[in-house]
Amino acid sequence: MMTEVIRTAPPPAGELRPFRFPAFVKRSLPGGLTVYAARMAGVPLFSLELSARAGAHRDPVEQARLATFTASVIDEGTRRRDSMEIAAWLERLGGYLVSAADWDTGFVVVAMLAQHLDAGLGLLAEIALTPTFPEKEIERIRQQRLAELMRRGYDPGAQADDRLAEVIYGGTPYSAPLLGRVESLRTLDRDALLAFYDRHYSLAGATVIAVGDLDPEDAVRRIEESLAPRPGQEPAPAAPAIRPAPLAGISIHIVDRPGSAQTELRLGHAGVPRTHPEWFPLNVLNMVLGGKFTSRINLNLRERHSYTYGANSRFSGRLGPGPFVVDTAVATESTGAATREVLGELRRIREEPVEIQELEETLSYMIGVYPYTLQSMGDVAKRLEILSTYGLPDDYYDTYLERLAAVTREDLLKGAREHLHPDRIAVVAVGPADELVPQFEGVGEVTVYRREPEPAAVASSD
Amino acid sequence: MTLTTSEPISRLGLQLPFERATLANGLRVVLHPDRSLPLITVNLWYHVGSKNERPGRTGFAHLFEHMLFQGSEHVPANEHFRFLQQVGGVANGSTWYDRTNYFETLPSNCLDLGLWLESDRMGFFLPALTQESLDTQRGVVMNERRQRVDNQPYGRSTERMHELLYPGDHPYHWPVIGYMEDIAAATLEEVRQFFQTYYAPNNAVLTLAGDLDPDTALKRVEAWFGEIPAGPLVPPVVAPLSPLGGEQRALLEDDVSLPRVYMGFRAPAYGERGWYAADLLTGVLTGGKSSVLYRDLVYERQIAQDVAAWVSPYEKVGTFMIVATAKPGIPIETVERAVLEHVDRAAAAPPDAADFERSRNRMLTELYSGLQKLDNRADLFSQFTTYFDDPAGAAAEADRYLEVEPRELADYASRWMTEAERVVVTVVPRKAS
Repeated sequence: MMTEVIRTAPPPAGELRPFRFPAFVKRSLPGGLTVYAARMAGVPLFSLELSARAGAHRDPVEQARLATFTASVIDEGTRRRDSMEIAAWLERLGGYLVSAADWDTGFVVVAMLAQHLDAGLGLLAEIALTPTFPEKEIERIRQQRLAELMRRGYDPGAQADDRLAEVIYGGTPYSAPLLGRVESLRTLDRDALLAFYDRHYSLAGATVIAVGDLDPEDAVRRIEESLAPRPGQEPAPAAPAIRPAPLAGISIHIVDRPGSAQTELRLGHAGVPRTHPEWFPLNVLNMVLGGKFTSRINLNLRERHSYTYGANSRFSGRLGPGPFVVDTAVATESTGAATREVLGELRRIREEPVEIQELEETLSYMIGVYPYTLQSMGDVAKRLEILSTYGLPDDYYDTYLERLAAVTREDLLKGAREHLHPDRIAVVAVGPADELVPQFEGVGEVTVYRREPEPAAVASSD
Repeated sequence: MTLTTSEPISRLGLQLPFERATLANGLRVVLHPDRSLPLITVNLWYHVGSKNERPGRTGFAHLFEHMLFQGSEHVPANEHFRFLQQVGGVANGSTWYDRTNYFETLPSNCLDLGLWLESDRMGFFLPALTQESLDTQRGVVMNERRQRVDNQPYGRSTERMHELLYPGDHPYHWPVIGYMEDIAAATLEEVRQFFQTYYAPNNAVLTLAGDLDPDTALKRVEAWFGEIPAGPLVPPVVAPLSPLGGEQRALLEDDVSLPRVYMGFRAPAYGERGWYAADLLTGVLTGGKSSVLYRDLVYERQIAQDVAAWVSPYEKVGTFMIVATAKPGIPIETVERAVLEHVDRAAAAPPDAADFERSRNRMLTELYSGLQKLDNRADLFSQFTTYFDDPAGAAAEADRYLEVEPRELADYASRWMTEAERVVVTVVPRKAS
């Protein structure tokens, strides 16, 4: 027999099953290494991550990007094996190895089938403790990064991101892309990489995160056995402060790309550090503004005006004041109009409190979606890394839902007024300058950038 | 309506239990319980994609997918996403050559909401259809094409590859997103007809995965979908394909700095044993730093900036692609020759034991890694049921790879990767004007 259903209104929800952030073990080992370990037994895999205080934030400005360069060479040879021996051995076991750096940390991640935990730990220790930084690999990766930069110069989205960072953060470590700059990449040498490694990959003050089909207590024991800091090793120094000069007014930066089928558009200014006390309400504010499909900016630009396939905004969580950015790609003839709409949304959310229903829907979205964002070992490892990198309390994710539920409209209004600056903002548009310039009349001062000629040394690699 | 229970199989002990049923209107239902998180995925596949279009009317299946988010009789325009997001749901749809899918992952207490939304647009879509929403979505899709294809470096190359690999009347000839002029030409009447032809329960598979009890969940499905009438039989797509009979080449100029070569071959249809052999060959060639092509071209000779290979899981015929980008100063012909040396070697002899083992183990870890997410698991069940009427295939996917012998990789390469069956698309920097 068929049950009746009522189609005229959304069906009521049943009772919500409670959800808790996965249990994890946190240990501070003698010598200063911290370990987080959590069991995620859905699939027979594990992920091991060494997270060191070695992010690009710590690069000297003239050495962009010493941090990411060092991270990409750290797994290219150890005292025991060369780069290809490591890769061949690991890949034959179905394993993955990534070493890279973002703004705040340098990291090495090994992921393998659960039965290979000891092998994975051995590899992590080998890379972390005995890298040799061979000249040959440094040169190879230097050429690869220079070529990547060259390619990036032709990618309109990347051009927009890079120009925006330059405008907002000129003169600070946040101004150059994570990949680096041609001039500094050419000069960084083995000594510089070794020095950065010695100073920043100290296991004292570093963190190891083990997640997957493993026993957390057992994992901690094995990590302690294989990854001991060298006696007397000092932790990496604290990250220096980054203080970008405030923007004056609205400035328009047009990167000329003749013949573009569309225009890449960004609006942005410096935001707040991840550790800022208002980070939490600002994230909720952003969710209303541009953080989800039904956000104000996306509905305006996409569903109301069909200027774009999608638009979003975000505050980037970093140790320093990472950017607040609105990011979209629009039909070229709509660029000026789309910019005005975005500026209008930024002003509106500072002028009047968000509607009660809008906040309720946003909070229920963020509460409901929480378990969805914690399905994989990568998801959980990333959260544990955040706890470690930003020094957040162990119960941060346990109390996350309660703290969300406590956010008010007044919190959002205050956050918007203090941390969104529609009248001190940079606008970057990558597209055909002759069509774009007239569209910005009356919005702000316009600067046009033309493509620089190719640096000769890059074009003649051998 | 009866339930049959499967025997889960996997050599590493991975359990993918499911139950299946078929409603009287032909809707096939797969239920995969996993109660580890309070989440449930509603995953609905329609067996229609760009393959069902015709020349001059391309991009229609995809534009239609956008229309299906514009409301239905009981769901007001633009409210679909709102209803889902306000409970914490994550939703989207996607269109491919052979199928279109719609999915939402929700807190498991909101199963009815997902079923309401999906059944309303399956059974009650036409009353809500308006010219205005078609015009808006046409604009959105044109911007999607600009963003994903026309304004992307190298963006037109896969489109060109398909145009050369398959003749003009073959349904894999044109791109899923369609050509701009065809997107502009779509009419409301065509939207209506497309819906009536393809969006019926007997042309769909519904998978529910996550925090559910199969019996209870099936009753809810029956309640929401049972009254939707079956549609007419869907016209079959006939796609005979004769050999290319000679290498096809194209040269594209684009706003890029580094030249790139795309090499394409046909492959067995997805699901055939030869498809898995071809997929393992992609792993031998480019899966990881120690893979044959990466090691030679990128690591040792340093003539390529990157190299990748994959074989697409299409229902009628697979597409095997190798893509390599030249290092600055290296002629693209040098890179192409180097790739071809390895293609010839792959056809001449089975791979080394180490390369074969690496590729196989890599496929398995990738597969397991993907299964961590509920939506991927639901997709896998829907895919096997849509194409093969075999949800058990989802759990047996790992075994398919384990059955293949090294010599089958050489068999594939020697039969399909010949000069006469090859398409080469080269992208070079546009000359300064």
